[in-house]
Amino acid sequence: MLNEVIYEFALWLDAMPSSTAIHESFYLYNWIEATHVLTLMLCLGMLFIIDLRMLGYALPEVPASKIANGLTTPMLIGFVIMFITGILLFYAIPVRSSQSLWFRIKVVLLVAAAINAYLFHRRMTASVNSWDNDAKAPLNIRVGAILSIVFWIVIAICGRFIAYDWFDCKHNPEPFFSALAGCVDGQTQF
Amino acid sequence: MSTSIVAYRRTLLTSLVIAVALAFSFTTLRLSAWEGLLPFFGWMETTLFGVIGKTWGAAFAVIEAIHLLAMALLGGAVLVSEGRLVGLLLTEVPARTVIDKSHRLFVIALIVVLFTGVFMACGVAMKIYYLEVFFYKMLVLSAGILFAFFIRRPLLRQDLDSISPTVKRCIAVSSLLIWFTVAAAGRWIGFA
Repeated sequence: MLNEVIYEFALWLDAMPSSTAIHESFYLYNWIEATHVLTLMLCLGMLFIIDLRMLGYALPEVPASKIANGLTTPMLIGFVIMFITGILLFYAIPVRSSQSLWFRIKVVLLVAAAINAYLFHRRMTASVNSWDNDAKAPLNIRVGAILSIVFWIVIAICGRFIAYDWFDCKHNPEPFFSALAGCVDGQTQF
Repeated sequence: MSTSIVAYRRTLLTSLVIAVALAFSFTTLRLSAWEGLLPFFGWMETTLFGVIGKTWGAAFAVIEAIHLLAMALLGGAVLVSEGRLVGLLLTEVPARTVIDKSHRLFVIALIVVLFTGVFMACGVAMKIYYLEVFFYKMLVLSAGILFAFFIRRPLLRQDLDSISPTVKRCIAVSSLLIWFTVAAAGRWIGFA
């Protein structure tokens, strides 16, 4: 049922002239995609440095709070640009994207990464004064940092995999993958 | 004082090498030299990396993603370092600490970028041979490596307070532009 609703919604988006315009414009689509990918350097670059600081691998002699406070704003700017360009990329190819197994895994992991970031920030704010100058953060913060790195690595891999059509509905994948991708019986548009 | 002269001599020499390479790339000599590399690109596809890259699409895609992530780390290291150099980021932390420590991250990321880049290039060697954008990416990447190790690093080894703010800004802007161009050209290879 949910997959039918998603499919109908994707068809509705797909019928919009601006969706087609982005999709069919070689330069606009490529510029949006290039911006989405290049902003990784800003968003993930900052995020990795914050996480590696918590694990004691990057700038361990600098107080953790200074790294986190100094790099969170550019990281969020990068994230906002990535989010907006990501929405536009989805909007340009809504049917295929909404039925991409990798896109679906990516969305789930983005939610998991957001929850992890919230918990990480809350734990850090509550306890940072007691370990700010330590080379390594306490275990619960380090676990959050490792989860953050893992989530974002897998998100980037899934993002890269969206370009490949291994499990696309048009190829009639195995029932298990078809269910995960949300293929709809008798669908005529891909 | 002598350290500063050595650093600037190296800077000028490296800039000259980059300028000559750039000038060479716009001449017909470049095209004939590039034609001579065709057998090398053909050979790249026959190597183990080439065979793996061409045979297993998933392996190629995973390496592609690692390449991207390493570029993200490289970009992060460059942004933090240059941001601190011009006083925009981590201003409460000594510039020397940020620049030296982020250089280590930069080197690690660069090694991963180069290794995964070679793997990917082997998988699609004959395709990229005919792409102008690949040549320019290699040119900018070479310029970036020369700039990072033979211009930026020796200059910033000096006492940072003795370097004029204009020189610092020039270093930061050049570095950001070079690495942004490397990343953008890399992305454009995918569209070509």
